[in-house]
Amino acid sequence: MTPAWTLISAFAGALLVLLLPARSAGMARIIALLASLTGAVAAAAACLAKLQHPDALAWSFDRPWIPELGIQFHLAANGLSLSLLLLTGLVAVAGVLFSWNVTHRPRPFFAFFLTIIGGVYGVFLSRDAFLLFVFYEIVILPKYMLIAIWGSTNREYGAMKLTMYSIGSSALILIGLVVAYAAAGGTSFDLDYLASVKYAPSLQSWAFPILFLGFGVLAGMWPFHTWAPTGHVAAPTAASMLLAGVVMKLGAYGALCVAMPLFPQGFVEWRLVIAGLAVVGIIYGALTALTQKDLKFVIGYSSVSHMGFILLGMATATHWGVRGGVLQMISHGIVAGLLFGIAGRVVYERTHTRDLTALGAFDLWRTLPGAAFAFTLATAASMGMPGFSGFVAELSVGIGVWQSDPWLIGPVAVGIIVTGAFSLRAMHRAFFPVRDAAAQAAPILPPLTWPEISAIALLISVSVAIGVYPLPWVTLIDDGLNSPLFHSILSLP
Amino acid sequence: MNYSALFLQLLPEAVLVITALVLLGVAVATEAKTRRPIAMELAIAISSVGIVGACAALNFCPTHVQSASSLLVTDPLARVFKAVVLGLGLLAVLLPPARREITQPGEFHALVLFALTGLLLTVGTDHLLFLFVALELASLSLYLLAGFSRSPKAAEAALKYFLFGGVSAAFFLFGLSLIYGFCHALTLPAIAAALTAGPLPPYAVVGLLMVIVGLAFKLAAAPFHYWAPDVYQGAPATSVALIAAASKAVGAVVLVRLLLMGFGAAAGSASWGLMQPGWSLWLGVLAAVSMVFGNVLALAQTSVRRLLAYSAVANTGYLLVALSSNGAVAAGAALFYVVVYGLATFGALALTAAVERERGDDSLGAFAGLVHRSPLQAVALMIFLTSLAGVPPLAGFAGKFVMFGAAMAKSTTHGTPGLTWLVGLAAIMSAISLYYYLMVLKQAFVREAAEVAPVELSTSHRLALLIPAVLLVALGLFPALLLSPLTRALLATME
Repeated sequence: MTPAWTLISAFAGALLVLLLPARSAGMARIIALLASLTGAVAAAAACLAKLQHPDALAWSFDRPWIPELGIQFHLAANGLSLSLLLLTGLVAVAGVLFSWNVTHRPRPFFAFFLTIIGGVYGVFLSRDAFLLFVFYEIVILPKYMLIAIWGSTNREYGAMKLTMYSIGSSALILIGLVVAYAAAGGTSFDLDYLASVKYAPSLQSWAFPILFLGFGVLAGMWPFHTWAPTGHVAAPTAASMLLAGVVMKLGAYGALCVAMPLFPQGFVEWRLVIAGLAVVGIIYGALTALTQKDLKFVIGYSSVSHMGFILLGMATATHWGVRGGVLQMISHGIVAGLLFGIAGRVVYERTHTRDLTALGAFDLWRTLPGAAFAFTLATAASMGMPGFSGFVAELSVGIGVWQSDPWLIGPVAVGIIVTGAFSLRAMHRAFFPVRDAAAQAAPILPPLTWPEISAIALLISVSVAIGVYPLPWVTLIDDGLNSPLFHSILSLP
Repeated sequence: MNYSALFLQLLPEAVLVITALVLLGVAVATEAKTRRPIAMELAIAISSVGIVGACAALNFCPTHVQSASSLLVTDPLARVFKAVVLGLGLLAVLLPPARREITQPGEFHALVLFALTGLLLTVGTDHLLFLFVALELASLSLYLLAGFSRSPKAAEAALKYFLFGGVSAAFFLFGLSLIYGFCHALTLPAIAAALTAGPLPPYAVVGLLMVIVGLAFKLAAAPFHYWAPDVYQGAPATSVALIAAASKAVGAVVLVRLLLMGFGAAAGSASWGLMQPGWSLWLGVLAAVSMVFGNVLALAQTSVRRLLAYSAVANTGYLLVALSSNGAVAAGAALFYVVVYGLATFGALALTAAVERERGDDSLGAFAGLVHRSPLQAVALMIFLTSLAGVPPLAGFAGKFVMFGAAMAKSTTHGTPGLTWLVGLAAIMSAISLYYYLMVLKQAFVREAAEVAPVELSTSHRLALLIPAVLLVALGLFPALLLSPLTRALLATME
């Protein structure tokens, strides 16, 4: 099974769901589940094959597409992109499971959902800048529709804000890519070719920030993160999971695998600015999450904070840091998906509130023990407790920071402490309220359903698996980082 | 002179004119007999047959024959664009005007055919004076078509269109006289030769500026766009479709022909830091003004037709960005874009006409709940508007990307910013444009509306929605299908 099946299954699934007769909600979600399972299995199979035969010739698909501009339909995967494919597949499966109860216009819901998944797969697989940009933009309209139609709090505003930030970010990316294309002679959009060209330093110093900022906006880089919390809160559960879990990773992936290899000297020039913004994002996101009343807003701002670690890891320009950044992408993808799933689906659909104080009245640790248990584990993973994926990632980033800019480690430590504080506060208030149990009987809530339990189990087990035995993931990521793309970046002092 | 070759060369135009005359004859005959105007369906059928026939006649045109003094040329560019104009014209004919608007379908459709004849002649000439006459034939027909429904709004639209058109024609003609005075030639090859032979005569360049102003009016480039919103809103849908798609495509071809093949020596440069006066810089400024004006004003519109008019202004801006780079590949991309833009804007107009038929107006609110009334129409609307906004995988996206890429590749040499200022502005403006297209899509997909009895669309109206939607998706997935032939034709013609 080639990695192409991830793409094919997602887009074919989306088309199939749309072609179903009206009023076939059950069929729609089954097709969506099958399509996302196929994608996840294909990604997992490709990862396993890569681990077994690390030197096997990589799969690639290359056809001319727009010959006038030297644009190829070029798909290929290295270990790094395979690991992100697997992340996408896992979050997709969990997302479908958490959307099992969608009854309002289920066919377009799952069609948009699968389109986003397909676009994300496409970005991770593209080796042509034009193709990558196509997949990057395919995601935008379904995002808007998912939030505006199926969302909750302030959905039309949140959807429009998120969409305008996304399209603005892609305008910057378009400029950056086209500048690189033109400066490289205007013959090819092939990413490996574009990265092999030595651009004039003066060009790099103004083109790099444009391109990086474009990707950085989608990665939730402070101060361009404001779309993320409002958008994630307004989105339906599955969309929040996708947005925080994988779509924000598109920005991080693009920054790492497009912006940095294309303009390495520009990167060196701007490296400390990025690191500074990342650290501010880590602390700012954590502090803001500390003051939120809405459980989803807490998770939304925690995403901003966690995405800061990814950017910081990249900005170190060290092997440890970048590897940690990618590990954090995977870790945060899983943990954010889990947190949003529990807060948006498991809790909200039963209590119809996300207000931390109001949730306290439900005594969730007694009335919904499964959810409280899962949320505790997810919180631990999110805080970076040893044994979970977050720990491995943050430790690795920390080592990278220590190697490149030791003085930054202080603020990062502050960020980690505040992360612990807001995570514990939210968990405590929402799930383990201190109240007189006899004073008021808590309402009885329906128990967890099987789709919910399986989605939670899937995501938690992956997070623990990475935390306990990160070696396969590290091997995959290092395969990507050892490619010629990163030579000029990671060999820097 | 070889008259049979001349006849073959003019065969498509002849077929159109004959069909128009037949249509008029049938209309007069039936009206005299039954005292009722000819049926709309019959008029549509006859004119469609005529257009298809003209398309078939294109095959008989001899290739690369130039009649005396370049009056008529059938170079590859002319042949391709005659086919494009006929295709867009056929779509416009398929979109039936509202019955209460058009009481005399015979005359109306005959005028459509005359306008198409004028557009075909405009595409196939290298002679500036002949170009002017052909353009006026098209314009006069279009003025009449704009005001044909005789409602006060249509009358206002037609009058505005006519007054602005008249002034721009005067500019065009005055520019021509200056060019002739200093180049002593009116055919493009001769002008190109005269310009490269000696130093640039400044008055000829001023003349070119005036000609560009005349064409900017045709293309609805700001600040020569003031007729567009009123015409889009007041004129019958069929006329607007013709003005927005076919007439615009022809304007772009004429501009490409004029600038690349006649006035290449007067290009100057719009590249950052290397600016030199010349049409390149003027087009750059026109492009910037159009993009900013069109996009910003579109944000405030509540009538979808007016919104499409301002989007037309903005899209002209993107087109001029590509042309201002003075590159052949970029010009080929611009020609590709003007076709897919025509398809998308035509589709959006056809859909607005369908909504008007159901809800009585074209306000944003009239689109509310479209997805519940007609899911297929809603999907078509999404295709048209997202193609206009430049969202993949639709043709509008491919067109914009290729235009901007080619413009940058032409203008940038070794680390100079080139046209980055213009392309950057275009990318950002294009991002902003998604906002107003989403305002329409939000109504159609997100908002709910009170139930209204659905109106059955006629078969031809459905075709007018289906064909552009399918083409936009196909050309979005495989842009080379159209881009390669257009670029090849342009390069072959420039040789």
